Amino acid sequence: MPKDTELVNKNINIATKSDTMNSLIDKNNTKSVSDSETIIKVKSVIPRKRQELLKWYGWGYKDSMFKLEDGHATFTGNRYLIGGKTLPHCLQWVNENFNVDVNKTPKIPQLPDSYTKSRLPDNVRQELEKIALVSVDGLDRLIRAHGQTLKDISLLRSNSFKRIPDAVIWPESHEQVVQIVQCASRLRFVIIPFGGGTSVSGAITCPADEPRPIVVLDTSDMNSILWMDKEQLLARVQAGIVGQDLEREMRARGFTVGHEPDSYEFSTLGGWVATRASGMKKNTYGNIEELVVQTKVVTPTGVIEKSCRVPRISCGPDWEHVVMGSEGCLGVVTEVTLKIRPLPAVVRYGSLVFPDWESGFKFEREVARQRLQPSSIRLMDNEQFRFGHAVKAESSWGGVILDGLKKFYITCIKGFDPHKLCVVTLLMEGNSDQVSDREKKLNAIAALFGGIPGGAKNGEVGYTLTFVIAYIRDLALEYDIVAESFETSVPWDRALALCDNTKRRVRHECARRHIHRFLISCRLTQTYDAGCCIYFYFGFNSAGCADAVATYEEIEDAARDEILASGGSISHHHGVGKLRKKWYEQTVSSPGRRLLLAAKQALDPDNIFALGNMAFDEYTPEHVVNSKL
Amino acid sequence: MTRPWYPKKSLIKDTSCTPEEIKEIVACSTYIDSFIEAESVRSGVPKEQLMKQVREHLEEMGMDKKMHVIRWMGIVFLKISFMMRIGIFVNETAILKLKEQMGKNPIVFLPTHRSYADFCVLTYICYHYDIELPAVAAGMDFYSMAVVGQRMRETGAFFIRRTIVGAPLYAATLKQYVRTLVAKYHAPLEFFIEGTRSRSNKSLPPKYGMLSMSLMAYFAGEVSDITIVPVNFSYDRIMEQILFAYEHIGVPKPKESTGGLLKALRSLNDHFGNIYVNFGTQISLKEYLKNTNLVTNETLKPTSLQQLTPEQLSQVRDIADEVVVLQQNSAVAIITNLLAFVLMDSLMKCKALHYEELLLEVQWMMEVLRGLGASVYEKDIENSLDRILVVHHKTVALDRERRLRLLTGDLMEVSSEVSAKMKGHILKAETMMTAVPVIQLQIYINPMLHYIMSPALVYVLVKRGSTNTDKLANDYYRLRKLLKHEFFYIERTEKYILNKAIDYCKQHHVVINDEGTLRVGDANRMQFLLEWALLPFLTTLMLCLDVIIQMRRCEHKQVLKLVQERAEREGRHPYCLSLESSANCLQGLLATGAILKLKNGSDSIYEVVPAAMEKCRQLVSSVLPEINTVWGRNNPVFERRAPLTSRL
Ligand SMILES: Cc1cc2nc3c(=O)[nH]c(=O)nc-3n(C[C@H](O)[C@H](O)[C@H](O)COP(=O)(O)OP(=O)(O)OC[C@H]3O[C@@H](n4cnc5c(N)ncnc54)[C@H](O)[C@@H]3O)c2cc1C
Repeated sequence: MPKDTELVNKNINIATKSDTMNSLIDKNNTKSVSDSETIIKVKSVIPRKRQELLKWYGWGYKDSMFKLEDGHATFTGNRYLIGGKTLPHCLQWVNENFNVDVNKTPKIPQLPDSYTKSRLPDNVRQELEKIALVSVDGLDRLIRAHGQTLKDISLLRSNSFKRIPDAVIWPESHEQVVQIVQCASRLRFVIIPFGGGTSVSGAITCPADEPRPIVVLDTSDMNSILWMDKEQLLARVQAGIVGQDLEREMRARGFTVGHEPDSYEFSTLGGWVATRASGMKKNTYGNIEELVVQTKVVTPTGVIEKSCRVPRISCGPDWEHVVMGSEGCLGVVTEVTLKIRPLPAVVRYGSLVFPDWESGFKFEREVARQRLQPSSIRLMDNEQFRFGHAVKAESSWGGVILDGLKKFYITCIKGFDPHKLCVVTLLMEGNSDQVSDREKKLNAIAALFGGIPGGAKNGEVGYTLTFVIAYIRDLALEYDIVAESFETSVPWDRALALCDNTKRRVRHECARRHIHRFLISCRLTQTYDAGCCIYFYFGFNSAGCADAVATYEEIEDAARDEILASGGSISHHHGVGKLRKKWYEQTVSSPGRRLLLAAKQALDPDNIFALGNMAFDEYTPEHVVNSKL
Repeated sequence: MTRPWYPKKSLIKDTSCTPEEIKEIVACSTYIDSFIEAESVRSGVPKEQLMKQVREHLEEMGMDKKMHVIRWMGIVFLKISFMMRIGIFVNETAILKLKEQMGKNPIVFLPTHRSYADFCVLTYICYHYDIELPAVAAGMDFYSMAVVGQRMRETGAFFIRRTIVGAPLYAATLKQYVRTLVAKYHAPLEFFIEGTRSRSNKSLPPKYGMLSMSLMAYFAGEVSDITIVPVNFSYDRIMEQILFAYEHIGVPKPKESTGGLLKALRSLNDHFGNIYVNFGTQISLKEYLKNTNLVTNETLKPTSLQQLTPEQLSQVRDIADEVVVLQQNSAVAIITNLLAFVLMDSLMKCKALHYEELLLEVQWMMEVLRGLGASVYEKDIENSLDRILVVHHKTVALDRERRLRLLTGDLMEVSSEVSAKMKGHILKAETMMTAVPVIQLQIYINPMLHYIMSPALVYVLVKRGSTNTDKLANDYYRLRKLLKHEFFYIERTEKYILNKAIDYCKQHHVVINDEGTLRVGDANRMQFLLEWALLPFLTTLMLCLDVIIQMRRCEHKQVLKLVQERAEREGRHPYCLSLESSANCLQGLLATGAILKLKNGSDSIYEVVPAAMEKCRQLVSSVLPEINTVWGRNNPVFERRAPLTSRL
């Protein structure tokens, strides 16, 4: 048989294409089509017009709020366990702590009737409209001008923002984000990536002195699950997906991400990455940095993403971690590959009662030492324990008796001082053997520190309160109480002193200002090998205070100084934002700050993402050049 | 029947999968799961139901290899081949070499598709050489045949639907199945890159779908390489030749059914000649892609979700095109082809050849084809000629004076039922009587035409007036484009091929180079051959042009009808009656922009682009050969003989 003719030399760059040769199957292979084959479109709970479902002037759902009416407190709506219920112990607690006049009419703000005019030039708007949906509606812009800090909410309620964004755009895909960012580089406007707007650091707050037009890039339309690999236990998700949507979709398929920051009903995946968020159940599922396998980020100088999907890599500094925690100042996170886990067979709550904070604390330390933490383990101080009692709903007859009996047992038989005792709440997950075994071990450790089991119900109530606590601030503001939380992380050896010092400092600062009605309380919410996270609540009755928010901020600043002096950190999970920038350099060192600015120079030299968080407000395009000279 | 059979596997791994396990892997793949998740959200159909459908699709398509059936089929095959007096000639060196290197990575056999016999032959060859029987992609027409479908399944066939429009779940399942076969199964994959049997016995432009699916395993890094083996089949006599001829002129082929097959079996008791199987140059996918980066955004996805990027898709298309060319290059010129050329030449000259002349002509034809680059498989002409006259006894014969004649059927009666079934213009019985044998003859000329096409175009371009290489090239490329769908080629080798053709023409005095000016040479015999080789195709092109220019705006089907009608009326080359050929010309006109295609429901409508059209017309009419021959019964080369009519 003859030899074949030689293979003609190849040039792979030239494709011979012929329209008629496109077989039907080929059409399925064009990228867009085949990609969309496996995309799970998620219908979000939260509509594009957020104001239709959410309270424009405060926290959470419109229909859910605390109310003081006819001499008792209620919680409206039916979204939470206490929804639609009367809270019999609440008023008494409010009075004891803040002494407010509950018969006063609450201050509910009115929607503004006009808004600052949008500064977005028409040509820019037209360009943007070619890419995705755009709005310059005043309310759309106002509700995306802020996060959830006390200052944000107070400015919002009095409609006194110095600057609000000029437009909102809703891209649906990574590709559209790329186009928007390119457009911004070309036409010189500022982009603010906006997730759920739950930031409590001022990170998302519209920069007051920005002269360029500001466009909010609302990520909420980027909420598809691009793929889900049940075998590899991974999912690729668009970054705008809201926590509760993500969790609902995963659970419907028998899986969970397990990332549940207290804001997860409203905060987004992209927001979590951009702030280095931490979830309640991090012991089982990990914090966001442990959950994320990969991120894709659009910056003005290009897209950053590792080229492989690997569990670990040794390849110099991890640049995806430069983006993680960048608080919207370097680019937009568009897609994230996340770990997922099968849903646990059993979820069980538990609680333990300790005679005082110190014994509870020692218990937590021991559990961490033995690495026996269940999904969540939290220690509440006495003030919080009693606050929890205050927002308990009217219980049934049986419940009351049980409550009474338990109280009798704890205070009389065990001799715990009701004004000192502390409670640990537990959330355990696994198969039933694992959970029972863990519970047994925890009880045994608790006994070593004088703790006794407090029942599953108390645990569950503790965790559901997590989500309603955030609504309290709106009620408080209506009665002139300003309140906010702040948190830190601290090594075990310094933690007790830190709690003590910080509370003392706050009391002292209040006394200095003749503030007598206030509450300072803390809880230990996360444990690690090397330390823990402490979460403070602070609020006071501001009646008679000239500038309540400024006063609050002064005191919180003092508290933060105290925290740092006691060996704590600038933040465990809320981030730096604008509120805490003054401690940024001291935390990361001066070379660290320069690195941050160098990252800016490398990724966003024209400062398109001009949120000015951390030290980014010190960046000028010439900055790097100057410092070289 | 009891000989032990330990075939060589294409892919040797620690564990090898059974066909059942392959189906299971597909059903449980992340791709199918993700697809179902998304599809369920899109359509609201419960996931369980979609999964059930996937499993049903898998049952429908999946192969089911059974050893005893393979042995049994091997024997049946031998029996039938014996009955058909078929000889199979294989490029043994090539297949042994291939077998030698098997085991390292998947192999994809890409044979030409000329007959239903193709895959039986290749499967049998693998059986014979102890190579794991290929998993063959077969059309659903076989699936529905009782017994046969199942037996094919059991020898390694899997079934694919012809169309997957509107069946996304089916498409997804198929995609995953094919890909998994390549990545995980230990047998070669085999499918027809042309997608369907070529009714004209020459290459069809490749389809890209199956190849994309099967090469995915390499792009996704599931295998280290994929060996692509083009295979060419040359038949002395294609079983389906008469059906094909009717199909060309628009009489639909009967549906395959077991009953029909049995009837066909009876007619198999005849001489079918030899089948020549040659293997083209293999392509190692890894080698082919060695300068490209396999790491793309797609690599970030789970393996089974990885898709071809647009660049990779275009690489796959290049490979597909390349494969068709490699198939062509491995086509062997056999005695049937030589005979067909010589007989057509004599028809063109209206002069029947005496046996002695015939021998000389065949000898000359052989040298010509060899000179044009074809490999000719022929040792003893006289012997072969005698043999082949027996094989083709139904279509050609020596008359009493030992002159070679083309046999025509009797003037048959075309029943109204048959006319109703005709796709195109209702042809006269008179026309069909000579057209059917000529088309059958042309079928054996076609597979050699890719060797002749370029010199022929060069010649007709020079013949219309002296020219230089550059001017010639310009018109040459335009003609090539117009004929691209008849004669497949790859863009990037065009220049090289043209230069080779010009050199050939110069060497053989077809044209003369006069200080840069090309003029007609004096190789008359050769020139005539080149001209008539082009005749049917250029004539069809001209007819299409005329019809469209006259109509200005016309439906696709209508054009085909009118071309047929005109061809019949004007007594043109019978191959101009071929609907396929006109459709190919229309594609060419579209590609050159002489007409525009508008969609009107399922039908396409063409509209003339006057300026471009006029240029085309001028070009084609300037090169249209003028050959005075008659295609009716008064051409002395025809001889009337009865037996063929019963078919209709
Ligand atoms: C009641 C309450 C409880 C909270 N509990 C927790 C908690 O338990 N754990 C915790 O970690 N945090 C908690 N937070 C803080 C806050 O929810 C987190 O910081 C959260 O990660 C912010 O997500 P978001 O989607 O709301 O982001 P936003 O508030 O919209 O934005 C936060 C920052 O991230 C940037 N950003 C948002 N999306 C993107 C993106 N796609 N690409 C780039 N940058 C982006 C913004 O520009 C901004 O700088 C809580 C907040 C509140 C109000």
